[in-house]
Amino acid sequence: MKTIRVIYEDGAHKWFAIVRDPGRPDYLVDTNEFLVISGDDAILVDPGGSEVFPAVFSALSTQYDPRKINKVFASHQDPDIISSLSMWMEFNPNIKCYISWLWSSFVPHFGGNRDTFVDIPDGGTDILVGSQRLQAVPAHYLHSSGNFHLYDPKAKILFSGDVGAALMPPGEDNLFVENFDRHIRHAEAFHRRWMGSERAKRDWCSRVSQLDIDMLCPQHGAIYRGADVKRFIDWFAHLEVGVLKG
Amino acid sequence: MAMGYEQTEDSGRELRRIVRINEEIKTVVKTAYRINLMAMNAIFLAKRAGQSALGFGVLSNELRRFATDLEQQMLALGQATGGSVSTVTAMVKEARAIKVLERARAQCEGVGKEIIDDLLRRRSATTFSDRRDQVAALNRNLAMMIESTASLVEMGGVLARSAKIEAAYGGSFSQSLKQVSSDFEGTISEIRKSLDCLSKFQMREFAA
Repeated sequence: MKTIRVIYEDGAHKWFAIVRDPGRPDYLVDTNEFLVISGDDAILVDPGGSEVFPAVFSALSTQYDPRKINKVFASHQDPDIISSLSMWMEFNPNIKCYISWLWSSFVPHFGGNRDTFVDIPDGGTDILVGSQRLQAVPAHYLHSSGNFHLYDPKAKILFSGDVGAALMPPGEDNLFVENFDRHIRHAEAFHRRWMGSERAKRDWCSRVSQLDIDMLCPQHGAIYRGADVKRFIDWFAHLEVGVLKG
Repeated sequence: MAMGYEQTEDSGRELRRIVRINEEIKTVVKTAYRINLMAMNAIFLAKRAGQSALGFGVLSNELRRFATDLEQQMLALGQATGGSVSTVTAMVKEARAIKVLERARAQCEGVGKEIIDDLLRRRSATTFSDRRDQVAALNRNLAMMIESTASLVEMGGVLARSAKIEAAYGGSFSQSLKQVSSDFEGTISEIRKSLDCLSKFQMREFAA
């Protein structure tokens, strides 16, 4: 079973991180899912693949009624991001899934219908969750050609999808990055290979440098917080990406 | 409430059964096409044999018609199994969802467990049994179609036997006509075997 941890709380406005599944088969990549609630409204961020659904559901339901989740944000179209959509819709068939317009006719292969998907235009959009206005921030080509991150200006949290992801070796399962230099070694090969465009990388670094961020939450690996957020953005800006080796 | 595994297995087995039926249908369609060609050659041969092979010519014409009817019948069978594939695919999908839900239930406590129990109760009471009824109806239809195809093939067998008798009156062409009518008999016997297989696959009870 996964662990659910509160990473931000201000009254009825909360961010939960659903992380680390010791029971996960070793052939599945480990993923982080995030739940943002504001009053009676909730959005599940990158809800995960159908294989990890049982672990995510059981952890989430200890803190929140899964039937109340009425929004889902999918950073992109990959199966580890959104193939569990049909399972979440079992509990609320009216869920709205926010995803790049590029993928809104592909992802229905995982579930959902004509009314499920809300297209996010290339320039991004605001998503209202309760009284909070979250921002879908463009991150195209990092790594998917239609890709968004989710920024909460009040909580100062940026959900950064695959950017910042690290494939951690067994045993290294801290929720937060504790030693940046050691941690980033597990992120380097991933970023070089998965992130395909130098230009997209530079655009993203410049865009997010202007945001006030306390926590940068990737979909795999530990969360960057405090000074490590800027450290990561600088590291990424200088990393050569879109290469097969090295 | 541990039914997910069994349901997935049942639906998977049903899908495999349909695949085997389809393969057998393809075999019969190919053989029917062969009979059609053989009958066409037999018609030419009968024409060359002239007056003494008139009866053989008529029977060859009938065998050609039989081959066309058989092809049509097999296409209809193929369409019927196509309908079963959609229904069974939906069942496989549902059974997988139930399996995932059961895994979630096993990991849950308290509210989570109650929510899943409620959902599983509703699902097993409605959707899955509805689909089973649909598959059962499709299976009954398939059985009827196979039965009517079997009657058609019996008629083909009678035609081939009659052609063999007529071949004896074929004068100097008698030997060639006998050979052709034996080929007809052999080919129709192949179809009979395929139909037996079809019947056997079809009779295997769903979710046995």
